[in-house]
Amino acid sequence: MRLEDLAAEANPARKEHPRELFRAHSCPAMGTLFTVYLHDLGEARELAVFQAVFDEIERVEKTFSRFLPSSEIARINREAGQGPVVTDPEVFHLLEYAKELSGKTEGAFDITVGRLTRAWGFAERKRDLPSSDALEAAEAAVGWRHLQLDAQWRTVEFLKPGMELDLGAIAKGYAVDCALDLLRSLAVQAMIDAGSSSIAANGDFFSRAWPVCVADPASGDEPLCEVLLGDRALSTSGVKEQSFTREGRVYSHLLDPAPHQREQDSHSLQVLQTTVLAPDSRLADGLSTALFLLGPRRGEAVMERFPECSAFWACRGDKGDFCASIRWPQTKQSTR
Amino acid sequence: MERREFIGLAAAGLGAMTLGMRGCGSPQAVAPSDWVHLGIIGVGGRGQHLMRMMLRVPGVRIAGLCDVYEPRIAEGRKVTGEQTPAYSDYRKLLEARDIDAVMVATPLSLHAEHVIAALDSGRAVYGEKSMGRTLDDCNRIRDAVRRTGKILQVGLQYTYAPWYTEALKRIQAGSIGQVTQAYSYWHRNNNWRRPLPPGAGVEIERLLNWRLYREWSGGLLAELGSHQISFANTLFGAMPDSAMASGGVDYWKDGREIEDNVHAILRYPGGQTLQASFITTNRLDGAQERIFGTGGSIVLTHTEAIYYHEPWYPNSAVPPEMTIVHKLITGPTYSAEQPYTGKGEMPLKGEASDADLMACQEFVDCIRAHRRPVADVDLGWSEAVTVALCNRALETGRNIKLSDFLAGTA
Repeated sequence: MRLEDLAAEANPARKEHPRELFRAHSCPAMGTLFTVYLHDLGEARELAVFQAVFDEIERVEKTFSRFLPSSEIARINREAGQGPVVTDPEVFHLLEYAKELSGKTEGAFDITVGRLTRAWGFAERKRDLPSSDALEAAEAAVGWRHLQLDAQWRTVEFLKPGMELDLGAIAKGYAVDCALDLLRSLAVQAMIDAGSSSIAANGDFFSRAWPVCVADPASGDEPLCEVLLGDRALSTSGVKEQSFTREGRVYSHLLDPAPHQREQDSHSLQVLQTTVLAPDSRLADGLSTALFLLGPRRGEAVMERFPECSAFWACRGDKGDFCASIRWPQTKQSTR
Repeated sequence: MERREFIGLAAAGLGAMTLGMRGCGSPQAVAPSDWVHLGIIGVGGRGQHLMRMMLRVPGVRIAGLCDVYEPRIAEGRKVTGEQTPAYSDYRKLLEARDIDAVMVATPLSLHAEHVIAALDSGRAVYGEKSMGRTLDDCNRIRDAVRRTGKILQVGLQYTYAPWYTEALKRIQAGSIGQVTQAYSYWHRNNNWRRPLPPGAGVEIERLLNWRLYREWSGGLLAELGSHQISFANTLFGAMPDSAMASGGVDYWKDGREIEDNVHAILRYPGGQTLQASFITTNRLDGAQERIFGTGGSIVLTHTEAIYYHEPWYPNSAVPPEMTIVHKLITGPTYSAEQPYTGKGEMPLKGEASDADLMACQEFVDCIRAHRRPVADVDLGWSEAVTVALCNRALETGRNIKLSDFLAGTA
């Protein structure tokens, strides 16, 4: 069945009165723009729902941002190098989850890259190569195995000097999850789009009726493919927004935590973008970063540990641009 | 001890205390006798936030949850990460033997009942602001603290924020000259409503949106303004002599009873004035306090303090020493008093800790050390009575003197 037919079957009214059936509001958070789409609720209720969702996203940002000095992650970064720091169950569980994901992705996903991301400064709009000394010092402070988490006492401790957490590769997805949990508790059909890179929905109106296009990072014209979210969340990681080129090499904000230890897919292969479908946004978010860094060949082995997930790569090789995918749903795809 | 003496002590205490996080600490290092087992009365949004903060303090466990709205219990257990015992009647929670201290985060009009019962049960109490809704509530809470000798810390968390304490210290040292005026804003742009679950009736609506109804709420002055009013009382070393206020339900005409905008002017005995503004239709100014002295200004927000030194020539494009006057020309008055647009100084930039976390840490420290908190019952009394004074002015549309209000004749 064609995607359009699937969508029409899920919601026949969509094509006829699309604008009357949903409302959208956007709010800046986590360095991007979160847009929330709500199925028609009536003005009085939707205002309160929008506000509650944005409040929840703000709460997650205030907890997990490394940029806000009053956040819990900033406090952990200040103190966990000196000894164990007690944190609350929500923060502890996300750190545990992140560490587990590091193990399952051969360390490609790693929240201990804080010093490294600071050295590169993509978030501060720096577009220069750091000095080799700065890079060496930063890389020495990275390593998920040196993040000690004690579940009995709920403590966090850095076993490497100078270590810092950066949850940039998972916090946005986690915020989407939390916001969707809230919307589910209110029985509201909704879709959340976090800066177009993390998208998830609650309810058939959006999840089974609104195709999500995976953009072509090379041309930006025709989408590479379209998918319906169903019960899954989508996340895309790519070089398009935060990258620069020096001497023919592309440097992006998606930083390999162990650049000298990993066997590259191929020196001539460059991953431009990775999209993941996963049961929740935090997994989609973290896994898309890891699979971007791993590339399709080594990513295939990692994907065996995530049978419930699908992955789609857009790559550039010697013979031109190409796509690779694992368990990607059969949907409309470009001819590339 | 009289009311003003207490305020003076609070201000002096803030100046002298070195408040800051006690650094990291492992709960393993906390002696079993120093563990604090907390009971929570009121597990709504604010209660859950404070629970997260308390759980970041080494040696704290949440041992009981109480709320009359059943879905809150599941939300609370999600925060604690365990099957915390739950109660729908706070008296049952207070009967539990394994609870050392109680946090009250219920609707304002219930604070007095819950705080007094918790104090009478022999527990230390962290009570959300405003301390009480009415003068009578505040007096009864103060009496209960005196009667029981137990700790009450009021949820005026900015009392513990380093950028606030530093500002007070600098003001007391004369760094911005004589402070004559303070303006406080708490401007937001939303309808202040909580979304309702499907099928919620009128009763649930009023329960979840209690802030919008007089039966429970002290309105914008209490829910937002109490932090700023408390700070002004500390800053000026006294409670105001009088207050006037204006406001109304002018935009969100959705059945709410409390005003959607409130503006108050408080006159202090030292000749200082606080102008306080609370609106729900524009957030350009956000939440901030602007402290004006003869030698400079301080802008305080929830995360930082910015200092401005009063320039003799604001925004002058030409330095005074380069101006050569050949002759004077008369004409209509030109517009010289433009707002100052220069940069301010941020001495504590990047060092902001979470004020709620600092307040929770302080509460636990006070329990362990049997120490009186800085945000104690007297600071809370002055804050809450000032809020009630302003609300009386708002209700009557009159300038209300504190002496008349305390005497019950206003």
